[in-house]
Formats: sequence, C-alpha cells, structure tokens
Amino acid sequence: MRFIFLGECVVITKIFNRITNTPIYKGVKKNIRRFEQGALDLLPDATFNKPATVKLIGDIGRDISSAENRLILGVSALMTQPFIDAKNKNVDEETRKVSVCRTIAKIIAGTFTGYFIRKGCIKAIKAWSKIPAPGIPKYKTLFTPKGARSTNNEAFKQYQNAMGTVAALVVMLFSNFLIDAPLTKFLTNLLVKNSGGEKQ
Amino acid sequence: MSLTKMFQKMNKNIASNWSNFKVHMLQNYGENPGNMLVHTGTLGWILSSLAQVGAVVFNDKISPEQKTFLIPQEIADAAVNILSFYALTYSLKCFGAKLVSTGKLRTKRIRNFLERNELMNKVGKLDFDVAKQDNFSPLADHYKSFKNGVDVVTSTIGSIISCNILTPILRNQYASKKQKKAIANMQQHNMQNIQHPRGISIADYQKLASMKFSNSSGLKI
Repeated sequence: MRFIFLGECVVITKIFNRITNTPIYKGVKKNIRRFEQGALDLLPDATFNKPATVKLIGDIGRDISSAENRLILGVSALMTQPFIDAKNKNVDEETRKVSVCRTIAKIIAGTFTGYFIRKGCIKAIKAWSKIPAPGIPKYKTLFTPKGARSTNNEAFKQYQNAMGTVAALVVMLFSNFLIDAPLTKFLTNLLVKNSGGEKQ
Repeated sequence: MSLTKMFQKMNKNIASNWSNFKVHMLQNYGENPGNMLVHTGTLGWILSSLAQVGAVVFNDKISPEQKTFLIPQEIADAAVNILSFYALTYSLKCFGAKLVSTGKLRTKRIRNFLERNELMNKVGKLDFDVAKQDNFSPLADHYKSFKNGVDVVTSTIGSIISCNILTPILRNQYASKKQKKAIANMQQHNMQNIQHPRGISIADYQKLASMKFSNSSGLKI
C-alpha cells in the first residue's frame, strides 16, 4: 500500500515537473508576474501612522470570524442586491417583484441562520478544545490538536474559528434544508403578499 | 482477521485521521484567517446554493412560468456566486498580502524597520518580502497582526464585491436569457400539440393560440 502511494507521488511529481517546464506554462507565469508587478507599481506606497488605525486593523484580523464576516456580507447584500434585481428590465414587472422579494427573503434567512449557526459552532468548539489537564473531561478536549500547549494564543484562536466554521458548514448541510429554505419560502410569500402580489 | 481486530484497526485509522485533520487545520488556518474565510466561504456558498435551488424546485406554489426564470436564476446565482467568490476574493486577498509583504502597505514600525535596514529601494518589488529580511524577528508579531488584519479586510471587500454586486448583475443577465429560451421552447411545444381545427386554417389557428398563450402568462419579455 505504502509503495503504491509513493509510486503515485513520484508520477504526480513527474507530471507536475513536465507541465511546469513547458514554454506555455513559463510564458503564462511570466505574464502573470508582469501583471502583478504592474499592479503593484500603479499603487502609491502607504504608511499607517496612527496607532489607532493600526490597532483597528489588527483587531479586525483577530476578532472578525466567519460569523461576523457573514453578517457584514448579509447587511451589504441588503443594500445592493434588491436594487439590482428591481432594475432588471429583462423580465416583466410581476417576475421582477417576486425576484426582489425572494432576494430579500433569501438574504434575511441566509444571514440569520448563517450568523447564528457559525457563532454557535465556534462557541461550542471553544468549549470543546481545552488543553488536556487533570479535572478536564475528555469530551472537552475532542477538538484539541495534538501538541497544543496553550489556548491563549492568536494561532489557536484562529484554529478554533476555522474549526467552528467547518462544524457550522456540516450543521448547515441540514439547516439549509430544514431552516433556510422554509424560512426563505415563508418570507418570500409574506413579502409578495405585502407588496400586493399573489402568494407564491 | 477477526472482526474485533478489524474494528480496532478501523478505529485507530479514524483516530489518526482526525488527529491529522486537527493539526492540518491549526497549521493552515491558525496563522492565516484570510485563507480560512475564503475557503470556508466557498464551501458555504456551495451548500447554501444547493438548498436555494431545491427550495425553488420543490415549491409547488411557484408557477411553471416563474420557475423557468427562478430556477435558472438560482443556478446562475450559484455558479457565479461560487466562482466569483473564490476568484475575486482570493485574488484580492493575495493582492492585499502582496502589498504588505512587499512593504507597499505598511505601518510606521514597519517603515522604520525598512529605513533602518536600508531596504526602502526594494519596496514594491515582487521578489521582496519584509518577513524574510535579517533582524525581522522583533517585528514578527506586529507584522503578523497587521498582515492578518489586511488579509481579512481584503477578503471581506472581495466577497462584498463578488457576492453583492457582480453576482446579481451577471446572474440576472444569464437567467433572463435562459427564461427567453425556455418560454420559446414551451410555446413551440404547445404549438405542436394543437390539433387541426375544422373550418379554420392552421395558420390562423396558430396565430390565435399564440395570442392566447402570451396573454395567459404573466411573463412577457
């Protein structure tokens, strides 16, 4: 089994080397680098002098987890997407109205469940990723990675956020069908009814 | 091999894979929250898009005419959402990271470090990386915190542009094209099912049927 795996690795490496040595690959890579350098040259240098701004950027990196990110996306979606759908002249008025109502319903339902499920899962992972010690039940170390010595560092907090988000995605496999979809349907019907249209 | 031994081996494998997965998560995302947002965001969009398409398909109260618009709209939404989310968000995140690593975007402390080490002439060059310079270690924590912050800001901006501006515009264009095609097919299908009437020519009857169909539908493009 191990030999087969090693053999596969060698074959993949050989294929990869062959691809990266082709003139097409080298040409594409060279052009991408040229484009990247051009984009960098276009922008002027910028220095953040104010300690408050630097602290804010650091705090964003530390405190914005996928839950807050989903909330920001949802709020900004409400400010843009319904207006884009309302201005879609390619469909008749009735369809446009249903489309706007559905977009609003989808954003509200998606943001609501997305935020709370992510937040809940991250909290659960934080509770179940303690450092093994006398008096700490085994289930509370279920998500603790091997070799972790402290939970009080930046990398570990980001790990908890990432693990919580992955757990949330698993939960959302079910909640998308059990909560999101019916809630979207209910809200769409409510919005269509209130906007004077037929119930969908 | 007995069943107990097989079960024990399976258990051991699961435990070992689970342990490796946790270490992999810590190594890959512990130091890079921006990457985590992009990757889990893409997975999240895939799952929620599946549910949204299902919600339209199984909603009996949406008329077939409106479904011809809403289903392609959802599929287009899903495809564009997922692709644009990943491509745009990841590119913007990488560009933000490059701005920081090449010293183009910096804090006062990073600029002082660059000036002290006479590195200002290398700032903005693609091969230059602030974190790979000598004497960098005292600045490491400050630099990492700033870089992570920029990563999260750029990936959030990327996801807002891709999901909330680019996607709705693209998906509406795609869905309306699909709707036109679907309605044309539906009309053609209805025409084929029309039986030859007595006392009226087939051309006149088709004209009447066409008028009737276009009036009965709420979808007029």
